[in-house]
Amino acid sequence: MREAIPRARRPIGLVLALALAAAVNAAAQTKDVEVGLIAPMSGPYARQGQVMKMAADMAIETINQQGGIKSLGGAKLKLEVFDAGDSVEKAKNAAQRMVADAPNLVVATGAYLSSFTLAVTEVTERAQLPVVTFSYSDLITSRGFKYVFQTSATGVQQAEGSLPALMEMAEKASGKRPQTVGIVMDNTAASVSFVKPMRDHQFEKLGLKLVVDETFTPPLANATPLIQKVRSARPDILILLPTVISDAKLLLEKMNEFGLGRGKLPTIANGAAILDPDLRNNMNIEQLEGVMAVVADWTTSAQKDFVAEVKKKTGEPWATQHFVTTYGDIWIFKAALEAAGKADRESVAKALHAMNLTGGAANFFPGNGKLKFDENGRREGASLLIVQWQKGVPITVYPAKDAISPPLWPKQ
Amino acid sequence: MMLGDWRRCWKGKRSDERAQSTYLTASLSPREGGEGERSKARAAHLLRSGEKAGDEVIAVSQFVENFLQALVAGLLTGAIYGLMCVGLSVIFGVMRVINFAHGDFMMLGMYVAYYAFGVLGIHAVFGSTLGPYVAALIAGPVIFLAGILVHWLLIGKVTGMRSSALRSEGHYAQLILTLGLALILQNGGLYLFGSTPVSISTPLASNAWALGPMYRDRIEVFVNQGQTVAAFIAVVVVLAFVMVMNRSRLGKSLRAAADNPEAATYMGIDVTQSHRLAFGFGVAITAIGGGLLASGTSFQPYVGLEYVIVMYAGVVLGGLGSVSGAFLGGLTIGLVQQMSTLFLPNQLQNTAIFVVFLFIVLLRPQGLFGTALRGT
Repeated sequence: MREAIPRARRPIGLVLALALAAAVNAAAQTKDVEVGLIAPMSGPYARQGQVMKMAADMAIETINQQGGIKSLGGAKLKLEVFDAGDSVEKAKNAAQRMVADAPNLVVATGAYLSSFTLAVTEVTERAQLPVVTFSYSDLITSRGFKYVFQTSATGVQQAEGSLPALMEMAEKASGKRPQTVGIVMDNTAASVSFVKPMRDHQFEKLGLKLVVDETFTPPLANATPLIQKVRSARPDILILLPTVISDAKLLLEKMNEFGLGRGKLPTIANGAAILDPDLRNNMNIEQLEGVMAVVADWTTSAQKDFVAEVKKKTGEPWATQHFVTTYGDIWIFKAALEAAGKADRESVAKALHAMNLTGGAANFFPGNGKLKFDENGRREGASLLIVQWQKGVPITVYPAKDAISPPLWPKQ
Repeated sequence: MMLGDWRRCWKGKRSDERAQSTYLTASLSPREGGEGERSKARAAHLLRSGEKAGDEVIAVSQFVENFLQALVAGLLTGAIYGLMCVGLSVIFGVMRVINFAHGDFMMLGMYVAYYAFGVLGIHAVFGSTLGPYVAALIAGPVIFLAGILVHWLLIGKVTGMRSSALRSEGHYAQLILTLGLALILQNGGLYLFGSTPVSISTPLASNAWALGPMYRDRIEVFVNQGQTVAAFIAVVVVLAFVMVMNRSRLGKSLRAAADNPEAATYMGIDVTQSHRLAFGFGVAITAIGGGLLASGTSFQPYVGLEYVIVMYAGVVLGGLGSVSGAFLGGLTIGLVQQMSTLFLPNQLQNTAIFVVFLFIVLLRPQGLFGTALRGT
């Protein structure tokens, strides 16, 4: 028996050593903080999802290189990606997979379309998983949810704010206030909701006369009748709202054909679709000159180094709205984790509610320079930007404090 | 062609100025009282009527311009629709097969033209003005061979003489087969070509010939150069095919196989071979139509769905089985689609097509040109 004790101790020592090694390894593994990206990675929206992933990867690489989350002992961020697909049902299924398969996930961003985000956050709210989103719909932060945070100016805020901003820009650029306006739009929900407050009260309030108002069902076969009506009515500004690239191409080419393009008729769209590199790849660059879009985020004059880094690291010609916002979201995660000091969902959600940043992540979201969410999770002071195609690149032209270049506007 | 200044003044100046001068004359008149007041009232009335007349002239000239512009757009769009309808009509007329994958063969034609233009060097040889149309014509023979292959491997198994042994003469199998083929082509296209929209770049797409100014500089109509060239090629291709069908031995064998396959077989015509050629010609003609469209619009692998319904409407409208009728049916669809915007909201463009379609089917079930042009 006496001889057996030392023999028995040897395996016990071995077991203890292995357990210690496993504990050390486990401690090393818990250092990684899992953050999620739920976005379309397949189907027709896959390109936007891929852009969002590029942005998240770039932000995480930078954060980890700079020492990770310092309040968590230098913990590294680790990205988990979930494919939201191309339908609300698929997005909801992806959210269910996300909360079931990734219990260590502490916060997530997504999910591209507002309809996807509405479905995804129904699932994540029950799992008490904080989600930071850029989707526009007002409904996202109107449901009394505690774990949803919206960084963009909402759809209604954009619709209400874009026309006064455009009028102000027009007056400053040309010295003349526009008197007449035209609308050419498709009948998708985004376009309809964007022009609703304008038709309801804004045109009257701003003294604008609506001289052409045309709605079409996408896809267009020929844009001639629509642009002919614009040519006949001769508005001072045109609100052009296609959501499909093929329609945007047809409309803009027809405007050029009729002599209304290249900034002769100030034209403004909503959302980043008309600023997408895909449109430039399908059109003569010169024909895009002067076309503007109201967006909730873009690169500004303060981010020249960031743009250079994006070009160098990703090969993208510029940082689109979804790139900038996803990149900014990851920096919001870092700030929240630093403040929480704990990698758990509840602590991160509390940190997000208590957040009041100036600089850092706040630089990636236009507004009052601060990053603060109200009790519903809506970012306070969120505002819009106006971006214009100039020499083949979409750049911010409004407001002046964020503008990279002054707007191109016809003097007469 | 660019317009120098699009803000021309169309205010009907002459009548306004005449009324204004009368009003001033009346105001300066030494006579006072009733006569002066009457003169003022008459002048004011003339001013109002002058403005009204000016407005009417503007409204009429604008309507005429809108009408002419929509007519041009309808003819140019309709010519391409017509070409695509001819392709579908050949397959239906000869083989009696409803090909749900037809729009997807059009999509393949667009991609063949796109890659021929960019990768195979058509752009380098012919430039960006002529190149897109050469690339569109190249799509024809390429998709012809693809059509022959697809018929040999799949379609031929459920059509022609073999189909008589199948339930409902093979129509169920044909429907399922062409639907399945459509899904495979769409998803295969997504896998091969990706979801990013592409197009063939040509300067003609956004340039126009200007007709006018006419009628005291009030009317000017633009004719898109790219669409005009495409429409011209479409008409030439259709005429060439009609000539082949009417004048050649090949055309006679195709028509014989369409009219009475059994009798054609007794006369030594290989009906299966005729059907194979008809399928090849049908998809090739539509592929050329797709290739012509590719320089005017951007497209992705699901683009065929947008056109296949229009193609069927055109074929039925023109008269099933009639090549010339199908072309005229497609042309009619284009005209209705564009000209309906003069009277109806743009959103109802495609609704107008089907209202006219149903109306014509109600009055002439054989189609607009079914009887008169049958046998071409």
